[in-house]
Amino acid sequence: MKRIFAFLVGIIMCISFAGCADKKNDATEVKPGPDFFPLTEIKEGRKNIYLIVKTIENNSYWDVLMDGAKDCADSLDCNVYVSGSYAESDWKTQERLLGDAIKANADGVVISPDDSVNLAGKIDEVYLEGIPVVLIDTTANTDNYDICYMTDNLMAGQKAADEMIKQLKNNGVSDDENIQIGIQVGQASSQTVIERLAGFLQFWSKHAPDSWEILHDIKCSNGLPEKALEYAEDILALPQVKGIFTTNSGPTVGFAKALKNNKRTDIVFVGFDYADEMADIVNDEEYHASTILQRQYDMGYTGVESVIGISEGTDIKNKFVDMGVVVVNKDTINQPDIQEILQHN
Amino acid sequence: MTKKQNKDFTHEIARNLSFFKMLVIYFIVCLIGVAFLLLNFNSLIVNHDKKLTGEICSLVTEKMNDSISYMTNSAENMSAALSAQNHNDLQKLYDELSLSKKGSGYMSIGFVDENQKIYASETEIEEFEKWELLEIAKQAEPVSISAPYRSGMTGQPVYTMFADFTYDNGKNGYLFLTYPLKEIQNMAYTDSLSEDTEIWLMEADSDNIIQCAGSDNYSIGSWNNAILAMQAQIDNDYQADYAEWKAHMTAGEDTAGITYEIGKKTYTQVYAKIDFMHGWYVVVRIPSRSLSAAIQQFRTSVLMFLGILFVATVIMFVMSHIRETEEKKILENLSIHDPLTSLLNRRAFDYTSSQYLKKSTKNEACLLFIDVDYFKQVNDRFGHDAGDRILVEFSSALNELFNENSYISRYGGDEFVVLVRSADKSEISLKLDKLQKMAGKIKPCDEPEIYGDFVLTFSCGAATFPFDAADVKSLQSAADEALYIVKERGRNGYEWYNNDIQN
Repeated sequence: MKRIFAFLVGIIMCISFAGCADKKNDATEVKPGPDFFPLTEIKEGRKNIYLIVKTIENNSYWDVLMDGAKDCADSLDCNVYVSGSYAESDWKTQERLLGDAIKANADGVVISPDDSVNLAGKIDEVYLEGIPVVLIDTTANTDNYDICYMTDNLMAGQKAADEMIKQLKNNGVSDDENIQIGIQVGQASSQTVIERLAGFLQFWSKHAPDSWEILHDIKCSNGLPEKALEYAEDILALPQVKGIFTTNSGPTVGFAKALKNNKRTDIVFVGFDYADEMADIVNDEEYHASTILQRQYDMGYTGVESVIGISEGTDIKNKFVDMGVVVVNKDTINQPDIQEILQHN
Repeated sequence: MTKKQNKDFTHEIARNLSFFKMLVIYFIVCLIGVAFLLLNFNSLIVNHDKKLTGEICSLVTEKMNDSISYMTNSAENMSAALSAQNHNDLQKLYDELSLSKKGSGYMSIGFVDENQKIYASETEIEEFEKWELLEIAKQAEPVSISAPYRSGMTGQPVYTMFADFTYDNGKNGYLFLTYPLKEIQNMAYTDSLSEDTEIWLMEADSDNIIQCAGSDNYSIGSWNNAILAMQAQIDNDYQADYAEWKAHMTAGEDTAGITYEIGKKTYTQVYAKIDFMHGWYVVVRIPSRSLSAAIQQFRTSVLMFLGILFVATVIMFVMSHIRETEEKKILENLSIHDPLTSLLNRRAFDYTSSQYLKKSTKNEACLLFIDVDYFKQVNDRFGHDAGDRILVEFSSALNELFNENSYISRYGGDEFVVLVRSADKSEISLKLDKLQKMAGKIKPCDEPEIYGDFVLTFSCGAATFPFDAADVKSLQSAADEALYIVKERGRNGYEWYNNDIQN
């Protein structure tokens, strides 16, 4: 009888185990961003503008953008509160901050969305509350905003591809040479990043020689600096890689470090933004590095200026304003317009 | 009859396949059956899904292409009408048409003359230069469509359609109509499966995709790249299939389909070429589960039914086995035991003792042949009940003395045979002496005035194995011979074979 009992228990256990699903918890823990804090002196009776940036700490790009916003607030006499995430993957922090801005009866919200898709619903909510919404740097997948000041990232990606082709040719790579181009993106869910990638590939497919191949293993570092460096080292280890394209600051810094670490002066590198590591390599005669710079100071300044105007009834004609980009390399770095932009970086 | 004796005997008569083994085999057969059923069912579902999703994908792509063709036909008709009107002032025509554009589906209308002068708003003229739209216009034979780009006026993705036309007595120009990408999204919308159907426009050369329909409304109109959004997500086993599917597209073939898995989800994906939009394709993807949900529910019901059936069968088997075991125990008792004394009967004794001796060639044993003296007279004098009492009490005495290491049987009416698993004559003789004393105390009834001077005695012949005989029959013959000597001598005693007379 004991054996029969054991047999039945065995069957029940088999059925139970078969029904158990293997559930994995792969959520990445990111520290939530801080609450809003004043960017300017706060005075009674002035309009309160809430600025939400993608990365609130240790990021020169967003520091420059906040400088622009602060300078505008000082000249237009308004209060600006600011906050953002600690990592660009943390769109939930921005969602929370948008809710906080509604509760605080904001006179205007200026935001650069971490995630164009996931934040669209909350941006709708703010706009439908009657609060002017100005998008800067990145758009969102909704019509419910007043105006967007950003780089046309599809076009910026095309310019990056154009620069890559030019620099490879300058570096002596012939049209029939079989080479590979490695790509690393920072955040696969960011529309900014994806549009730059799309623009790059669009231009590349039309203008690059057929023997210059894009590596299909496009790496995504998800905003993590250590991953960006690790993937950069991996790509540089491939013997046919002669060109590198990165879509934003995180992977750009990763590759700048990796190129320096490995003294890869044979690589043509085109990235975005002007972090210290990238500035270092662009200014180094031995390397072939170019960077695409946005006008983030202008975005911060114009964003605050515009949201104040809208809150006072200014009519907006176009919803999208391309702020344009400049290509910085050894040949262009001393041009006056680029020097002016670099002053803010 | 001891438990040991029972066990030895029943083990020998038990079947080779125990109930437990049979249950395990039944379980394995059921498992194989269910596995076979599941494999067949799953294969049926997969084939059904592949076929059906493939057909639906093809229908959706066809619908998209038809809708785009409808739009291009409209543009062609409009350009034909304008050509027929032979306008000579494009600026005037542009002013008139741009004012009446509302409600026509497109968001703006304009012209390009033979000198490539653009009749459009300032923002649009900038966009012509930025996106090299004049190059697309030149491809209009009779129609061409640009890749989607972001409109400065709305901030949303748009595309521009060009149609060639003539004006001012045969001059060649182009009519253009700019549509929001949402127009294509509206074409892509289907009531059924709207949650599950994903539709993209895809450029073959760059792998860029733009989502036109999907479960998340906010992702519609967004750019992505198929290398990241599709290829990188697909399970490794299907990468080669995907590469082949993509190769068909790159080669410019009109349509191709693929089935692949992402995680545990199966998708069917089909592309179709878009006429007049050079290098662009409509891609439709549907997860298989959305179609097979009903069949899967049926499969779950069948499995549940089979599970219940299996458990019920096992319970029935177990209950039937328990009842059968109990009945068998009763029957076994009846077949191997003497009903009066509960000792082994002759058949059981012969079997067990011969089996024991066969297996115990290295061991020693002793066979005792015992007759109750003058038992017939007991029956005649005191009746059969008294005779039965004598036999029962004598059996108890045998049990008490030889219980361990012995097979005890009632061999005939007053005959008892004992196989002792030892050939120690002195020890066995001591027990026989004790038996004589115990037999002397057995009375046919409780009343002394009835049984009077009655004294029960027995005669016993003994032989040892393997010294006196090498098998049971010979051993019995030897013991019988010794018994005969005792009887000849006047009974009430025992004798060892080979003239070793003890009493």
